[in-house]
Amino acid sequence: MIQKDGIATQEMIDSITPSAERRSKGPVAVVECFQSIPCNPCYTSCPRKAMKELIDINDMPQVNTDICNGCGVCISHCPGLAIFVIDETYGDNQCLIKMPYEFTPLPSEGDYVTATDRGGKPVCRGKVVKVVNTPMQDRTPIIHLVVPKEFSMIVRSLNINDIYDDNTYICRCEELTLGELREYIRKGYTTLDEIKRITRAGMGPCQGRTCRQLIMNEIAKLTGVKPQDQLMSTFRPPVKPVKLGFYAQEDTDNE
Amino acid sequence: MNKSASVVIIGGGISGNAIAYELAKRGQKDIVLLEKKFLTAGSTGRCGAGIRMQWGTKLNCIMSKYSVERYEHLNEELDYEHDIEFKQGGYLMCAATSKEMEQFALNVKLQNSLGIPSRMITPQEALEIIPYINTDYMIGGAFCQKDGHLNPFHTTQAFANAAQRLGVCIEKFTTVTGIDVDNGKVIGVQTDKGYIATNVVVDCAGGYSQYIAKMAGIDLPLYSQRHQILVTEPVEPLQGPMFMGFAHNIYCQQSPHGSFIMGRGDDEEPKDGRITSGWTFLEEMAKNCVKLLPLLKDLTVVRQWSGLYNMSPDKQPIYGHAPNVEGFYMASGFSGHGFMFGPVTGVVMAEMILGLSPTVDASQLCFDRFEKGQLFIEPSVV
Repeated sequence: MIQKDGIATQEMIDSITPSAERRSKGPVAVVECFQSIPCNPCYTSCPRKAMKELIDINDMPQVNTDICNGCGVCISHCPGLAIFVIDETYGDNQCLIKMPYEFTPLPSEGDYVTATDRGGKPVCRGKVVKVVNTPMQDRTPIIHLVVPKEFSMIVRSLNINDIYDDNTYICRCEELTLGELREYIRKGYTTLDEIKRITRAGMGPCQGRTCRQLIMNEIAKLTGVKPQDQLMSTFRPPVKPVKLGFYAQEDTDNE
Repeated sequence: MNKSASVVIIGGGISGNAIAYELAKRGQKDIVLLEKKFLTAGSTGRCGAGIRMQWGTKLNCIMSKYSVERYEHLNEELDYEHDIEFKQGGYLMCAATSKEMEQFALNVKLQNSLGIPSRMITPQEALEIIPYINTDYMIGGAFCQKDGHLNPFHTTQAFANAAQRLGVCIEKFTTVTGIDVDNGKVIGVQTDKGYIATNVVVDCAGGYSQYIAKMAGIDLPLYSQRHQILVTEPVEPLQGPMFMGFAHNIYCQQSPHGSFIMGRGDDEEPKDGRITSGWTFLEEMAKNCVKLLPLLKDLTVVRQWSGLYNMSPDKQPIYGHAPNVEGFYMASGFSGHGFMFGPVTGVVMAEMILGLSPTVDASQLCFDRFEKGQLFIEPSVV
């Protein structure tokens, strides 16, 4: 519910998604404004008059995608940070997303980041190709982020910590990195149990609480076998680490 | 999957992979190894992974010495990309009774005569090796620096990788459902992924060996018993050798990775094939460990698990072939020592199958020793 969590529903997104044909032609603005509020800078800022005139200032904006060329001027003018420009013609299977970003620190050009969806969940790895932050943007910098094309309508924000980095620790107890994990999967260790035995991932104090799901997801990505169809490893006692001395105590009181 | 093979090996543990490698190294082609789950899923991957040369019979001393010497150079021999983590921290055998001391003295004499560098130690000398032993419970012991411990997953994988490079076909997640015998000869193996025609089957299915043999109509005098083990969090290196006591019923060692691995035997353990974990073990193990090695009381246990000992009537392996089914070989009934004997198992079985003269004469461990009443009694087993 957008009133509760601020995240647009799929239905709402569908209602403002430019047609596939239009998206295939080049950059276009996507205005994700779903509330009747007295606000009109998107309309007044557009140099091409691509935004339909707001007769009542409470009207919701509508983009004429035939006129819009995706220049992105409106992005910084929207006080609700609701406007994005997507360009699915950016490269082979890649798409460029221009998004407003008001967090600090800002990413730098060339950085790899975690591209997230509207709710902040990681989606994929993204590459920052440009950071636009001139007085024109009035402290609402615009980040140009490149992600795989299929995520053009999913990725809407970023986290500067790149969780898809090869050096990211998957198993923190036994220090297995993502890069190493991928290498093992490629070599043919394609079940959680095999990864566990050859790398010790999941054998440490947390007993796989952190890494189990991450490893299964990674196996799914590289082999196509969904986590729910993969073999689960055995859950073994004790549930959490307990000192030997505790078990060795004589029972003092038999209730 | 291959429709035919010259040799089908059943079991993807240390024995199966070592046999596959040794056969291929000797020029055997078209070898298929079948494993129900993944490599080391059974007893190999669940074992304590210690290796000792301190035995009480000549044959076991010779076999374990051979294995240790192979393990010392296995990384290089098999050109393994990782490390089998062989740590020769020694085995400190703790004697609790004068009877045990007498046995150890005999053993050490035998071991020394075979070139095994073991020696008797006093409790005082034991403290120099492991400073936190509670010597109240020991009257002496024996020590051999060349004994040690290695990583069972990597060791098995090292054999498997080398075998695959020599052309061995390893089929994981493949279950054997039947063995076809015609006129007293093995003719093929049925699996859930298809049929493989073959004249030679090697049964090294660990805790499931007797069931595999049954498929060929062979009764093995074996049963599988659960053994439990636990592991602690990793800590800085504290303990060089494996600490072991027969009367005290304990083995406890620190792996190179830092965790302590310890286990014990228990005659009450179930023999129905279950590999679950039990509370009694945890309590008894902890009491024993804290009593004998008090410093370890503050280590936290992160996991316990269990595996199957494939027990034979004399607690010694069977290296042999079935007398009434031609082409059926077995390397089973290791009774808890299959991993440490891995290299010798590979060589003995490969040479037996190919009819080559044996590097190590293990004919005393043949299958028909039970019928003939010639049990092979080893005084030093847990």
